[in-house]
Amino acid sequence: MKTLVYGLLSSVLFFTACNSTSKKQESSTTDTSTAAKTDAKAHGSSSPISEIVFAYISLKDALVKDNDTDAASAGKVLESAIANVDRTSLAADKAKIYDDIADDAKEHAEHIGANAGNIKHQREHFETLSQDIYELVKAFGAGQKLYVDHCPMYNNNKGANWVSQSKEISNPYLGQSMATCGTIKEELN
Amino acid sequence: MNRIKAGLVALLIILFAMQLIQPIRNRNGQVVNKDSGKILRVPEQVQGIFKKSCYDCHSNQTEYPWYTYIQPIGWWMDSHVRKGKEELNFNEFGVYSKRRQLSKLKSIGQSIEDETMPLSSYTFIHKNTKLSKKDKALILDWVKNTINTQ
Repeated sequence: MKTLVYGLLSSVLFFTACNSTSKKQESSTTDTSTAAKTDAKAHGSSSPISEIVFAYISLKDALVKDNDTDAASAGKVLESAIANVDRTSLAADKAKIYDDIADDAKEHAEHIGANAGNIKHQREHFETLSQDIYELVKAFGAGQKLYVDHCPMYNNNKGANWVSQSKEISNPYLGQSMATCGTIKEELN
Repeated sequence: MNRIKAGLVALLIILFAMQLIQPIRNRNGQVVNKDSGKILRVPEQVQGIFKKSCYDCHSNQTEYPWYTYIQPIGWWMDSHVRKGKEELNFNEFGVYSKRRQLSKLKSIGQSIEDETMPLSSYTFIHKNTKLSKKDKALILDWVKNTINTQ
């Protein structure tokens, strides 16, 4: 009888423990999403994707510093920023473009958010995400000046791009060891 | 002593009750026209590797070994399959947008290169699903060519 009681008790404990962590995660995502909103508004930008760009930039900055935990939380902010875009304010053809890119970007943001502790994997998704962000900015404008930078060495010299808010190079792919490696490829106004 | 006996009996009853809860099998017998093999050009050899090493978790056709009929192993496998399909489903590749197809292809290449897939916990039990060097090279070549022709 004792074993049965202990068995049941421990399984109950196990399930409640699992539930509480998932709830905690949920609340932290909503918290960060409101934070992103206010920040982007404070920028006074008129672009429909300014929140997305803002979250992407903070993700990039976290990767520059080799900080996988900050990158993960920025990934979560980005995920909600993507979901928060008011699609009804977009023209039908623009909404279609948005959906196509956002669907893909959301998945990358999700993976980056879920992979604290695995910065290599975060960077893999960041690479494809950067292409999505580039195309979003091309289609909708960012409301601020941005630069497209290129790192020739990433991924066994296959190279990769990223989008940056500053003229100075700070490389998110190779981290602190090669922080200033890279070139400006394009300027987005 | 009696308590231990009662405990064992209770445990047996629980184990037996667990067997009654069998997860729904991931086996869709229908012909799938959204399969990656219909959307992309996949050579037979590569398709064979996918079927052998990836389809158990990344398609609607899981090959279930006998021990997955025993709980909780079956439940564990079920959660793996569900997560795997969420990330990538070869049978529904055509449902993804072109952009997402490209992303998935890239991720396939990366997970093979990084050796994160197939999961080592999976290849440990299913020895025959382990990828050889040649298998990996074939997949990576295919990914590269497919991305370039997209």
